[in-house]
Amino acid sequence: MIKDITIGQFFPGTSFLHRLDARMKIVLTFAIIVIIFLCKSFFSLGLMVVFTVALILVSRVPLKTILKSLKPIIFIVVFTALLNIFYTTGDANSWTYEFWIFKITEKGVFTALFMAVRIICLVIISSLLTYTTTPTGLTDALERLLSPLKVFKIEAHTIAMMMTLALRFIPTLIEEIDRIMNAQKARGANWESGSLVNRAKALIPVLIPLFVSSFRRAYELAFAMECRCYTGGKGRTRMKQMKFGVRDFAALVLTGTLLAGIISLNIFFPKVI
Amino acid sequence: MTVIATRGLTHLYSKGTPFQVAAIKDINIEIEHGELVGIIGHTGSGKSTLIQQLNGILKPEKGTVLLEGQDIWASKASIRQARFKVGLCFQYPEYQLFEETVYKDIAFGPRNMKLDEEEINRRVHKATEFVGLKEEHLSKSPFDLSGGEKRRAAIAGVMAMEPMVLIMDEPTAGLDPHGRDLILNLIKEYREDTGNTVMLVSHSMEDVAQLASTVLVLENAQVAMSGTVEEVYSRGEELSKMGLSVPQVTRIFAGLRERGLDVDTNIFTLEQGRQELLRFLGKGVPV
Ligand SMILES: Nc1ncnc2c1ncn2[C@@H]1O[C@H](COP(=O)(O)OP(=O)(O)OP(=O)(O)O)[C@@H](O)[C@H]1O
Ligand SMILES: [Mg+2]
Repeated sequence: MIKDITIGQFFPGTSFLHRLDARMKIVLTFAIIVIIFLCKSFFSLGLMVVFTVALILVSRVPLKTILKSLKPIIFIVVFTALLNIFYTTGDANSWTYEFWIFKITEKGVFTALFMAVRIICLVIISSLLTYTTTPTGLTDALERLLSPLKVFKIEAHTIAMMMTLALRFIPTLIEEIDRIMNAQKARGANWESGSLVNRAKALIPVLIPLFVSSFRRAYELAFAMECRCYTGGKGRTRMKQMKFGVRDFAALVLTGTLLAGIISLNIFFPKVI
Repeated sequence: MTVIATRGLTHLYSKGTPFQVAAIKDINIEIEHGELVGIIGHTGSGKSTLIQQLNGILKPEKGTVLLEGQDIWASKASIRQARFKVGLCFQYPEYQLFEETVYKDIAFGPRNMKLDEEEINRRVHKATEFVGLKEEHLSKSPFDLSGGEKRRAAIAGVMAMEPMVLIMDEPTAGLDPHGRDLILNLIKEYREDTGNTVMLVSHSMEDVAQLASTVLVLENAQVAMSGTVEEVYSRGEELSKMGLSVPQVTRIFAGLRERGLDVDTNIFTLEQGRQELLRFLGKGVPV
C-alpha cells in the first residue's frame, strides 16, 4: 500500500551517535565524506572501512536496517564497478584476462573494487546521520548552521520551519490520498485500465479533493500558529537548547585523527595495492 | 435471501512488516436482503476494514466475500459489479467532492456505470430530492455548500448509483443533533422506500437502536455478537466490558427495575421509553 513508504528513517536509540549534537553530526558527516575521497591507497581505504564498521557498531542500528539503505544503490555500485572493470587499461607488469571482445586487467578489477567500497562507505556514513538524528533535530541543526546566511537576507528559520512542517505533513497527506482514492473507487473511478489520457483524467477526482483539503489544513495550521503568537523566528527561544558537550569535542577530535591517519597512510603506503 | 456473506474473511494491514496487524480475523457473516444492519464496536475493532472488504476496496488476505452467492473477486468484471451493487459511503464523505457543480458530482458514480444521460439525470434528481437538497443547489459548486449540505450531497452521490446494498461509515460523525436526525431519517426513509439493504456503522448505540433491525458487534477483529437489537442490547454487561454502553434510556429503565418498579427493561429508544412509562403510569404507582 501507498502508506508503507517510509519517510525519514530515524531509528530510535540512545547510543553515542544518537546523543551527539545534530550540528556537529552534520558537519562531521560532510567532513568524513570528504575524507572518503581522500583515500588513495588500499591501506587508507581499509582504515576508512574499519572506521565505518566501528560507527555502525557504536550506533547500535541493526545491520539489516543498514543494508536496507544500501538496496537502492546496488545498481549504481554494480554499474560503476563493471565500467571500471572493462574500461581500465592495465599496466604492463600485471596479469590480464581476455575473452571475446572483453579484456579484464588486474588494475581494472582493483579500481572497480576500490570504487565500490568507496560508494558503500559513503552511503552508510550518510545514512547513519539520518538513522541517528530525528527529522526535527536535523532541520533544527540546519537552521543553526544556515543562520549566518542572514547576511544575504536568507531566512534560515523560515526554511527550517517549512521543512519541519513538510516532513510533519507527508504521512498525513499519504493517508489522505489513500482515503480519497478509496472513496472515488467506491464510486466506480478507475485508474487501473484504459488509455494513458483516461488514466490521467481519472486522477482529477483525487487531486482536487487533495488540494482542497491541503489548503484547508494549511489555513488551519496558520491560524493555530498565530493563535499561539507565532511571528516568525525573531526572538524565538527553544525548548531544546543545543549545547556542545565533551562528547561533541571527542567526536571532533576522533574525526581529526581519522583525517591525519588517512593522510599519513596515503603518504607512507602510497601503493594502490 | 442472503445478499452478502463472508467466509473466513481476514485482512492484514502492513503485511510482512513489523507493523502487521490483523484488522479482521476469520469473519463469517450473512446479511439478509432488506435488513438494516447496525455495526457497532469499539474504536479500532475493524468495522471500517470489514465494510471496505464488502465492495472490494480492500482485498482479503484469506476468505471470500459472496455477493448474491458469487465471489466478488472472481474476475475484473465481478469486482466492478460489486463496486456498483454495494454502495459505500465513507466517513466524512464530504471530502470526496470534487466537481464544478453539485449536479456533476452526484452524477460521477452513475456516469462511471456508463448509464445514458437521461437515466443519469433521473437518478441525480431523485437522489437530490431524497437527501433534501434543493433544485437550486445542483448548479452550485459543492465547495459553496454548508457542512451538512456537503455531507448530504456526498451521500446523494452514492445513493444515485442505486446500490443493492448501501453501507455508511459513521454518517453522523461531526454533525449537530439536527443534522444527525436529518441523516438518520434519510437512511430510514431510503430503506423503507427502496426496500434495499442498508448497513450502518455507528458509535452511537442510540442511533443503532433507533434504526437497525439486526446488530453486529465487532470486538478485537472478530464478531463478538450478532442478532436482533433486543438480543444484543439485553447483554448489557458484556457490552460494557467491550467499552460499549447500552443507551441511556435503557440504563434508566434498568435502574427503575432495580428500585423495585415493575417496568420492562427491554427499552432501547426514547419512543419505547415513553410508551412504557405511559403504560406504567396508567397502571398506577405501586405502594
Ligand atoms: N491503513 C491502515 N494501515 C495500517 N493499519 C490500519 C490501517 N487502517 C486501519 N488499521 C488498523 O486496523 C485496525 C482496525 O481499524 P478499523 O479502521 O477497521 O477500525 P474501526 O473499527 O473502523 O475504528 P473506528 O471506530 O475508530 O473507525 C486498527 O487497529 C487500525 O490501527
Ligand atoms: Mg472506522
